[in-house]
Amino acid sequence: MPKLLREEQAPAFVAFAREHTFVALFGVALPILVFCTFVGYPIVYTIYLSFFDWNGMTPTKQFIGIANYVTLFHDKYFYVSLVNNFKWLVVTLLFPVTAGFLIAYVMRAKLVYGAAFLRTVVFFPVTMSLVAVGLMFLLILNPVFGAFDDALRAVGLGFLVHEWFGDYHIALYTLAVVSGWAFTGLPMVFYFAGLGDVPKETLDAARIEGAGHFRMMWSVALPQLRPVTAVVVMLTIFESLKAFDLVAVMTKGAPFGTTNVLGYLVYLESFWNSRFGYGATLSVAILVISILLAALVLGRLLRGAFDV
Amino acid sequence: MSDYAAAPRPGAFAQALRVAPKVSATLIMLALAAVWLGPIILIVMTSIKSNQAFLAGPFALPTSPTLAPYFSVWASMNFGSLLGNSLLYATVGSALAVLLALVPAFGLSRMEIPGKKIIFALLLTGLMLPQQTVLIPLYDTLRALNLLDTKIGLIIVHGVYGMPAQILILRGFMTTIPREIEKAAYLEGASDFQVFWKVMLPLARPGILVGYTLNFIAIWKEFVFALVFLNNESNFPVTVGMLKLNSDRYMTVFNLPAAGLVISQIPIIILFILTYRQLSGGNFVGAVKG
Repeated sequence: MPKLLREEQAPAFVAFAREHTFVALFGVALPILVFCTFVGYPIVYTIYLSFFDWNGMTPTKQFIGIANYVTLFHDKYFYVSLVNNFKWLVVTLLFPVTAGFLIAYVMRAKLVYGAAFLRTVVFFPVTMSLVAVGLMFLLILNPVFGAFDDALRAVGLGFLVHEWFGDYHIALYTLAVVSGWAFTGLPMVFYFAGLGDVPKETLDAARIEGAGHFRMMWSVALPQLRPVTAVVVMLTIFESLKAFDLVAVMTKGAPFGTTNVLGYLVYLESFWNSRFGYGATLSVAILVISILLAALVLGRLLRGAFDV
Repeated sequence: MSDYAAAPRPGAFAQALRVAPKVSATLIMLALAAVWLGPIILIVMTSIKSNQAFLAGPFALPTSPTLAPYFSVWASMNFGSLLGNSLLYATVGSALAVLLALVPAFGLSRMEIPGKKIIFALLLTGLMLPQQTVLIPLYDTLRALNLLDTKIGLIIVHGVYGMPAQILILRGFMTTIPREIEKAAYLEGASDFQVFWKVMLPLARPGILVGYTLNFIAIWKEFVFALVFLNNESNFPVTVGMLKLNSDRYMTVFNLPAAGLVISQIPIIILFILTYRQLSGGNFVGAVKG
C-alpha cells in the first residue's frame, strides 16, 4: 500500500483539474460531494449520536458520554443478536456458497442435464425481494396448510416436522436457510464465470492424472478460484450483517427475541422504542464489526481481487 | 437404479455403467430444480385455486383454475399504486445512479486521477455499508430537507446508494473498451467531454444496460429505506405495501397471498426474461472483479 496522503497529492490534483476540468468536476468533485452528504456525514453523525440520549423528536439531545456503550455491553439482546448474526453467516457460508459452487461445478463438468435451465432457476430468486421470499416461505412452512411438512411426511421423514418459526431452537436457522435459498444464485453465477476462466489444459492435465471430481474441485478448481471466493465471502459477510428483511417479515424477532439480528435491533430500538441514541450505538457496533471482518478478509483473502 | 442390480444378465453391469451418468445427471437436475423451482410452482398453483380447492392440500392440482384471487387481492391491496411506485423508484432511482456514475467511471478507467486509491476506498465503503448504520442520520437529514415521506426523497437516497456499485460496474466495462478510437479523437483535438460524450457513451451502452438493470432489480427489492422513510401508503413501494398480506385477513386462505406474491413479481419476471442471459451468464462478474 503506497502512502495515501503524500504532500504532493494536493498540487497534483490541481494540475489534474486544470488539464481535465470536466472529469475533475463531474467525475471526482460531484460524486465525492454527494457521497459525503449522504454516506460520509451520516456515518459521522451516527458516531456522534451514540454519545447522546435522544428520542428522535425533541430538538435537544442530552449528552450522556459512554452510557450507551455501557448499556450495550450489558444488553442481553445485543449479545443474542450478535450471536445470531454469526450463526447466520455460518449458515450462509455453508449452504448457499457451497451449493452455489457445487452447482456451478456440476454444470461446468457437464454432470447434469439442462444446465442453462438450472442456472436460470437457481438465479431467479436472487431477483426476488426478500419480503416476497419471506411471505412465500411463510405459506410453504405453515404448520397447518404448508407444503413442506406434507412433503416431509410423504417421503417418510415426518419425524423432521417442526414448528419452523415457533421453536426457538430452530427459528433462526429457518430464516437463515430461507435467506440462503434466495442467495445461492449469486455465488453460483460468480463460480460459474470463474470456472469458465480456469485454463482447460489445467483441468485436462488433472483428468489424465486420474483426479476424481472431488480432487478436481478441491485441488484444482478452488485454488484457481481464490479471487472469486474472496469476493463471494465478502458479499456473504455483508449480506449476513445486513440481515433484516426476512426477520421483519417472518418473525419480527419472535419467539422471545431469539431471532433478533443486529440490523433489526437497530430498527426496533430507534423507530419503535424511540431510543435513537442507543440505536446509533448499535449502529456503531455493526460498523465496527463490518470493518473488523472486512479488514480480516481483505488482509487474508482479498489480495489481488480488487487490483486497482 | 436398484433394477440393474436385480438383473444379472451378462453385460447388464456394463450397460448400467453406461446409463448411470445419464441417470445421475437427470436426478441431480430434478433435485435441484425441485429445491429452487418447487416453491415457486407451488405458490403459482395455490394462487389459481378457489377456496375449496385450497383445502384439498398444497399438492392437489388446481382442477378448475380461477383468476378470482388475483382480482380480489389486486383491488383490496391497491396493487396498482404499489407497482406504480416501485416502478417509479426503480426506473428514476437507477437512472440517477447511472448518471452520477458515468463520468467517475470514465475518469477512473482512463485517467491517472491523483488519490485514486482513496476514491476506491470510499466506493467500497459505500458498497459494503450496512444500511441500518445510516438510517437514523438519513432520516434526520431527509426530515431537515422536508423530503421525509416523499417520493423524491426516496429516489435521491436510492440513486446515491446505487452510485458506488454503478461506478465499479461501469468502470470495469469501460476498461475493456479499446482506446484506439479515443486516441484518434484526442489527436483530432477533441476535449475530454467530447470523447466521453461521442466516443465512450455509445461504446459503453451494453455496460450501462447491465448496470441499470442490476440497479433496477436492487431498488425493486429494497425494503429498509422505504420502510423507514415512508409513512404514507400512497408512497409505498410493493415491498412495504405487501407486508399487509401477512395478516389474519389474508393468511386464512392462501390463494390470496399467493396471488399477491405472483403479482408483486410480474414486472421483475418480465425484466428477468428480457435480460437473464446477460445476468445469469455472469457478465457483471468481470465488472465487480475490476
